[in-house]
Amino acid sequence: MANKAVAKPKKKTVRIIIRHLVLTLLAAIWLFPIVWLVVTSFSGYSGINLTHFFPEEWTIQNYVNLFTKRTAACNFPAWFKNSFIIGACSCIISTSFVLMVAYAMSCMRFKARKGLMSFSIILGMFPGVLSMIAIYFVMKMFGLTNSIAGLIIVYSGASGLGFLICKGFFDTIPASLREAAKIEGASELSIFLKVVVPISKPIIVYTVINSFLNPWMDFVMARLMIRSKDAADWTVAIGLYNMLQRSLVGEYFSIFCAGGLMIAVPISILFVIMQKYYVEGITSGAVKG
Amino acid sequence: MKKIKKYFSDFGTAVAKGDIWTKLSLVIMGAGYFGRKRFMKGLLLTLIEIGFFVFTFCFSWEYIAKLGTLGTVQRKEELDLVTFKKVVNDYDNSLLILLVGIIGLLVVLAFIALYISNMKAVYNAQKLEEAGKHVNTFREDLKELINKKFHITLLTLPSIGVLAINVIPIIFMICIAFTNYDKDHQPPTYLFGWVGLENFKILFSSGTTVSFGYAFPRILAWTLIWAAVATFSNFFLGIFLAKFINNKNTRLKKLWRTLFVITIAVPQFVTLLLIGKMFGNYGIVNTFCNNIGLTGFLQNIGLVSKGLSYIPFLSKPGWAHVMIILINIWVGVPYQMLIATGVLMNIPGDQLESAKIDGATEPQIFWHITMPYIMFIMGPSLITSIVGNINNFNVIYLLSQDYVTSNMKFANSNAQEIDLLITWLFRLTNEESNFKIASVIGIITFVICAVLTLLSYTRMISGEKEEEFQ
Repeated sequence: MANKAVAKPKKKTVRIIIRHLVLTLLAAIWLFPIVWLVVTSFSGYSGINLTHFFPEEWTIQNYVNLFTKRTAACNFPAWFKNSFIIGACSCIISTSFVLMVAYAMSCMRFKARKGLMSFSIILGMFPGVLSMIAIYFVMKMFGLTNSIAGLIIVYSGASGLGFLICKGFFDTIPASLREAAKIEGASELSIFLKVVVPISKPIIVYTVINSFLNPWMDFVMARLMIRSKDAADWTVAIGLYNMLQRSLVGEYFSIFCAGGLMIAVPISILFVIMQKYYVEGITSGAVKG
Repeated sequence: MKKIKKYFSDFGTAVAKGDIWTKLSLVIMGAGYFGRKRFMKGLLLTLIEIGFFVFTFCFSWEYIAKLGTLGTVQRKEELDLVTFKKVVNDYDNSLLILLVGIIGLLVVLAFIALYISNMKAVYNAQKLEEAGKHVNTFREDLKELINKKFHITLLTLPSIGVLAINVIPIIFMICIAFTNYDKDHQPPTYLFGWVGLENFKILFSSGTTVSFGYAFPRILAWTLIWAAVATFSNFFLGIFLAKFINNKNTRLKKLWRTLFVITIAVPQFVTLLLIGKMFGNYGIVNTFCNNIGLTGFLQNIGLVSKGLSYIPFLSKPGWAHVMIILINIWVGVPYQMLIATGVLMNIPGDQLESAKIDGATEPQIFWHITMPYIMFIMGPSLITSIVGNINNFNVIYLLSQDYVTSNMKFANSNAQEIDLLITWLFRLTNEESNFKIASVIGIITFVICAVLTLLSYTRMISGEKEEEFQ
């Protein structure tokens, strides 16, 4: 009897240990490339180190180079500035578009509502890559290729289509809240700005993060739109992608790692602060989305 | 049908029964408002009308007129023997004709709609005046825009954006699928024209030099397999990981979660390029495998051919297919885990409690309560992510940087074994300027996504399932 009583907790302890060992193994797999990214960014050797995981020589020269070096293939401060302007502007425009459309679709009742909603769902099913070429031609016609303004328009123009999740959230806001405001004599505009927007924090955070990250991380569209050979016109994504070209990778790989890490910093900060809202935003929209 | 009939008959009555001002609106759109002393509104509408006619007849009409042929005069450069300068003739640019023609036609359609609704509005104003009621002033109309007609204010700008960035390009590319716009027909130097369904035939036929008929079904199959496997592997592994971390026996839950979430923070294109380099033919992973003798072992059991001194992780079909799915799991699972964590936390506690009291085991609870609940909440998003994976450009494109196909039949049609429809489409446009076939592929991709979405909407949304968990 006594033996059994002792054995049971022991078995449990073993299982807990195994559970944590499995988690450690998984975490190690998941962190392996990230750690490689971090250590390589401190590597004294500028190309890809093919034989050693950890660099033989540690230095912070890559970061110094990243922020000071100006060559035909490297101008990180300018890229960061371009990307940040594009990200911030399209984030503001996209978020307002999404909120506006979601409010109209969720809280207003008008004739074309259902039709517009199905139309937007159909539009969303066309592969983005297909229209990219045509967008390029349209932008070229207006002389907007090779410019930050053009990229902002491209990233935020069609953002109104992504209203579904936000609409799902607005649908959960009790209609009585809006009606009460209406009885008090509030216009739809002030209901939108003073009643609905203030209580929609999770979904706004979710939309803001998504609409900032989309242009911040995209490189296909940017590469198509920006054909300039001058490194100062590029975005972070184009610049970093360019560093891995076969002729450049030997010289720039460790700088690429440093740059990749630097653009991860703002995202991580954003995520850590907003994690709670972010998850809330996803799940709340999903229920009725 | 009835609605359309009413739409036009209303217009008819407005014309027939209108007074002189209303009838005058047929010519000058603002007239009806001038008659009721609403000058601002009248002026505005008249200005729109003038603007429309100037735009159409001074600019877009010559393009619209040529839409039928997409241009007939090819560009020619001639040396002017008097001035010794190169002279370019007044050539047609098929691309511009198509693009401006489409925009011009849309403008015409929009104007007709405005014209008809204006007639009705003017007639309405007339009736109101006859009944001795108040006709809204311009100021009152503006006030309406933040109240009853607030949706117009809200939707105008986003709609213009969607039109410009989404609708016009899509119409344009659909049109391209029915032309012969490719490497040999590039404006401005050359013209392209309509060819009907020719491109669809090319895609399904295979010859000696071009083999779209060979590549297409194979790429389509891989696209569908990829979409299904990538979606479901991420979905279930994400849920299991979330369950695993959320288990009451796990210490430091937050720490574990953060460790996985860190991988989301580094932008996808950085991690994918990095992993691509790690698993390259002479990358660091291959060095390790060589050192510990794995490469030799795989050669012995025949998984790696003897001629290679490395494991072709991302450079041979088969290996690359598996690796790409594994890497995609690496990319997607943390994200799915984050979502699943949020969903798991919201499971109604009383159901779990009562199940436990009834003596249900852990697996029973998982399969009969947790999973149905998760499926209910995340089911619709599952279809969205299948569609998303069909269009998952980044993973395939960034991981196939060093991939070179050795199959001539694929190479002839600019495809690779690991290409999805979407990356194939991109290669065709970006590297080969084969816009016609790319557009056809785009249309097919759209049809697949549309069918999937329609199926899911009828399956998931309809029925009484909506209230099950409320």
